[in-house]
Order: sequence, then structure tokens, then C-alpha cells
Amino acid sequence: MRRILGTLKQVTRVLLGQITAGRNASLYPDDVFLVSYPKSGNTWVRFLIANLISEEPITFLNIEQCIPSVYILPDRELRRVRRPRVLKSHECFMPRYRKVIYIVRDPRDVAVSYYHYNLKKRLLPPDCSIEQYAPLFIADELDMRCGPWGDHVMSWMNMRESRDKFLLLRYEDMQANTVAELRRVAEFFGIDPTPERLNRAVQFSSADRLRELEKKESKDWVFTKGMRQDIPFIRAAKSGGWQSALPPQVVAQIETAWGDTMERLGYELVTRAKGLSSRAKEAVFDS
Amino acid sequence: MSKILGAMREACRVLLGRKPAGRRLTVYADDLFIVSYPRSGNTWTRFLIGNLLYENEPVTFLNIEKYIPAIYLWPDRVMRSLPRPRVLKSHECFDPRYKRVIYIVRDPRDVAVSYYHYAIKRNVIADGYPITEFIHRFMDGEFDLAWNWAASWGDHVLSWMSLRQGRQNFLLLRYEDMLQDTENELRKVAHLVGIEPTPKRLRRAMELSSATRMRDLEKTQGKDWKLTKGTRQDKPFVRSAHAGDWRTALPASSVAEIEQAWGSIMKQVGYDLSTELPVSQSVGSATMKV
Repeated sequence: MRRILGTLKQVTRVLLGQITAGRNASLYPDDVFLVSYPKSGNTWVRFLIANLISEEPITFLNIEQCIPSVYILPDRELRRVRRPRVLKSHECFMPRYRKVIYIVRDPRDVAVSYYHYNLKKRLLPPDCSIEQYAPLFIADELDMRCGPWGDHVMSWMNMRESRDKFLLLRYEDMQANTVAELRRVAEFFGIDPTPERLNRAVQFSSADRLRELEKKESKDWVFTKGMRQDIPFIRAAKSGGWQSALPPQVVAQIETAWGDTMERLGYELVTRAKGLSSRAKEAVFDS
Repeated sequence: MSKILGAMREACRVLLGRKPAGRRLTVYADDLFIVSYPRSGNTWTRFLIGNLLYENEPVTFLNIEKYIPAIYLWPDRVMRSLPRPRVLKSHECFDPRYKRVIYIVRDPRDVAVSYYHYAIKRNVIADGYPITEFIHRFMDGEFDLAWNWAASWGDHVLSWMSLRQGRQNFLLLRYEDMLQDTENELRKVAHLVGIEPTPKRLRRAMELSSATRMRDLEKTQGKDWKLTKGTRQDKPFVRSAHAGDWRTALPASSVAEIEQAWGSIMKQVGYDLSTELPVSQSVGSATMKV
């Protein structure tokens, strides 16, 4: 019975043209995609860019008009967005995305953030510990949408790094030096990065403002509607929280799975001796 | 109007559970995927593996979709009901969910020639369509069957190689090696699927998958095979089954374009560039310098 209802719901959505676009979204050559693994700062960067582009201050209620997620609106509506469009996506490597800003974040922090988010989404039972969650996260066995973190990051880096229309941002750099990183983004868009414009965007996208907005708007924001409202979407907005939130064995599991990728991105590992990274070891070995 | 009809047709397919699975396929950890860019020997490999795995009934175009189904022909509901472990055919660019993969790569210059004829067979282009024009569109990935995540040959091959080569449960096969020493390559496949590669079993699979046999089968079954139904029956699906046809079929300018775009990947896979020294020599000189 539940299955039949599910099918009927799906049919109605197809008939009304309400199937969310997702991977099937129509693409235009001038589209810019804001891509990341989930819980890597995509929403914050969306706010930053939207506040850079738009005259009107961005809130959770108008963000989906300015920089829509490909997972919320149907293709019919996405096609109506003014071009060049800026779209949010969590897809693993997509050969048809021509212009891409890719945000990467320390997977140890992603793990902590994703854990809380999955509790918020009720994908995890309220009593699930982070130790229990860690293997699901590493193998991507919980929602299986984006693949494991390492595959996601490497798919984009291997295929597009150092190409013309690809900008790699580290969440940690954005935190440490928001204005400088946002200047790179502005240049990528061909926007004149005047200090006033950059500062305005940074202020309108601060964690404090986003938290305030979330309190008022989250039960109406299509994205968080229906989720647990007692767990915030905008959580720590900090780097390095894993050092207190992750048990050492989980840190070790993550570093075993993706150590090389993490080092390539400049994330220092605690399980490898300092000053003798794998790259350094290779160099020693080669000579 | 056509839009409304399209939406209704789509709705009916959803209602009847007939929407082909494609990228929406439910993936199991024990699935084995035969992945390649289109026109790279996937069907031949499917016949070989099917004939290796199933000894009771020789594989034909009429039962291949039962033994090793393509993910693009059946809805997920049907795919989920198949006995496991499943062996599935796919043309997807890198998909992180695929845990066990046989990836077939073929010289893109030959892929281009084969694709050109296939596009004519499928009525996508007309007889006599200028091949130089076709090559531009081919290189842009325009003819890939996937919707808008269609990949170019270079993106497709590099995505799988750069993310999976050297890993367990990933077997890279070159179409050219398979042609040259089928038994040896098939033995690698047998190891991956956990079958003891006795000479008898390997030879049976090879004989039942020969180009001659497949051509014969296609003559009687091509109009009923789900993949070629509705395509031009005067054009074969199993065409030359050869390596190196591009030397006579492709204009030099097209060869140069392909080599310029994908030269580094081609060399990585071991395809000599006509616009450069052969790989072995250039590797040799690089070693000399060191």
C-alpha cells in the first residue's frame, strides 16, 4: 500500500512537472556550479556569493531564487532562473559542468558535522554514537548519494584541478581569510572586488547572522523543513572541531582511508609522524 | 502539446514501473559492472563473460539481457529482482558506488570510427554525414547516450583510471589486448569473477563469442534485441571487430584533433600517437635522460 502511494505521488509530481531536477537538470554552457561534498560549507559560500551578486540581503527564504540548489526545484523552474545561473550541487564528478567552484573541507570536520546533520534529518536514531556513525560515513553507506568523501574530492581534483574554469576553495582558508578568498571568487565571476562589496557580502553572511536567520526561517526553508528543529543547520562554523569531538580511533579510521588525499590538500595527519609525510617519504625513497 | 504528451508518457512509465534504471540503479556491494565508453567492445566482453559464467546455454542477443543486463534497458524494480551477485553492463562515467568493475578501454580513434557508423545505424546522422563534422561533435561527448552527464571519451576513461586503477576489484582491459590474446585477457576476467580458468572453459567462451558467430546471430536477432530494435537493420551492430581501422577511415586532420585533445591519456593507456614518436621510444629516451 505504501509503495502504491509512493508511486502515485511520484506520478503526480511527473505530471505536474515537479520532479526535482538533480542530476537531470538542463545545463547551459554559462552555468556556474558551486559543488562540494555535503557539510563542507556550501551554504555559507552560497550566501557569500549571493550577497556579492545580489543587491538584496540574502536570507534562507530568497537564497533558492538567487543560487538555487539542483535538488529542490524542478527543471522547469530552474530553466527560468536568470542566466548566467549559479547553482548549488553535491554531485561527484560531472563532465558536463563547465564552470565549477569546488569547496573542500577537512573530512574529520565533515564527519562531525554530517553526524549532527544526519541526526537532524532523523537518518540516525537519536542514541547513535559518533563511533557507530564513523564506518557508515567512511563507506558512504547511510544515504549513498555522493559516494565516499575521498572519491568525491578526488573525482573533481583529478579531472579538473588546474583547469581554466575550476576554482578550488578550502573551507579552512575561507574561515581564516574570508575577504581574500572571496576576492578570488569575485575574480572568477568577473566581478570587480571592491573592499565595500566584499565586506558587505562577508557581513551579510556571517555565522551570527545566519544563525539568527535560521531561528526565524528554518521551519519555512524548503531544505530544512520537516527536520528536527532542535538541532541547528548552522552549527559550529569552525575548523578543527574534530579535535575534541572525534575519538582517536575514528580519526585514525578517517586518516587510514584518505590520508594521501588529505595531505595533498594540506590537512595535517595526526597518525603520521610530522615532517615525514608520504610525499616526503617518497622523495627520500626516490633519491 | 508535445511537452504534455511527454510528461504523460513519463508519468505512465513511472506508474507502470518501467523507467529504465540508469544512474538511479540500486547498487549492491557484490555487483560486478562491465563498464566502458560506448563502442569499446562492451558487448563482446559481455558475451565472453556470459559464456564463461553460464555453461548451460550459449549466450545470444535474445538472452544476453537476462544474463548480463544493461542498466539502461530495465527499470530498477526488475534489476533488484535479479539473482545476486549481479553482472551488469554500464556506460557510466565514474560512479563511486560501483565496487567491482571491469573497465574496457579502446583506442579513441577506433571508437570514433565505430561511433560514426553506430550513429548512422541509430538514425542520429544520415548516410554520408561528413566524418570531420562528426568528430567534432563526438569529441564534445554529444553522442554519448547518457542525458546531460554525457562524457567525452577522455573524461570517461580518465575518471575511471585516475580513481580506480591499481585498486582491488578493478580490472582494466584494453580492447586491443583482448583481440590479440583473448585467452590471456579472459583468464584475468575469470580470476576476478572467481572461476577456475580451465583451457576448455575459456575456449568454449571464446568460440561462442567469436565475431563470426555474433554476426550470424545478429542477422536473425538484431531486430528483436532490445538495444538494436528500431535501428537501421541494413547497418550491423557487430561491425569490423578490428583494431586500427582509423588509419584508413579517419582523415589526418581528425586524427590530429583527437591526439591533441587526449594524447596524454592515450599514451598512458599505451596508444602510440601518429603525431609523435612511438610510446616505447619516447619512454626509452626519457629513461636515458635520467
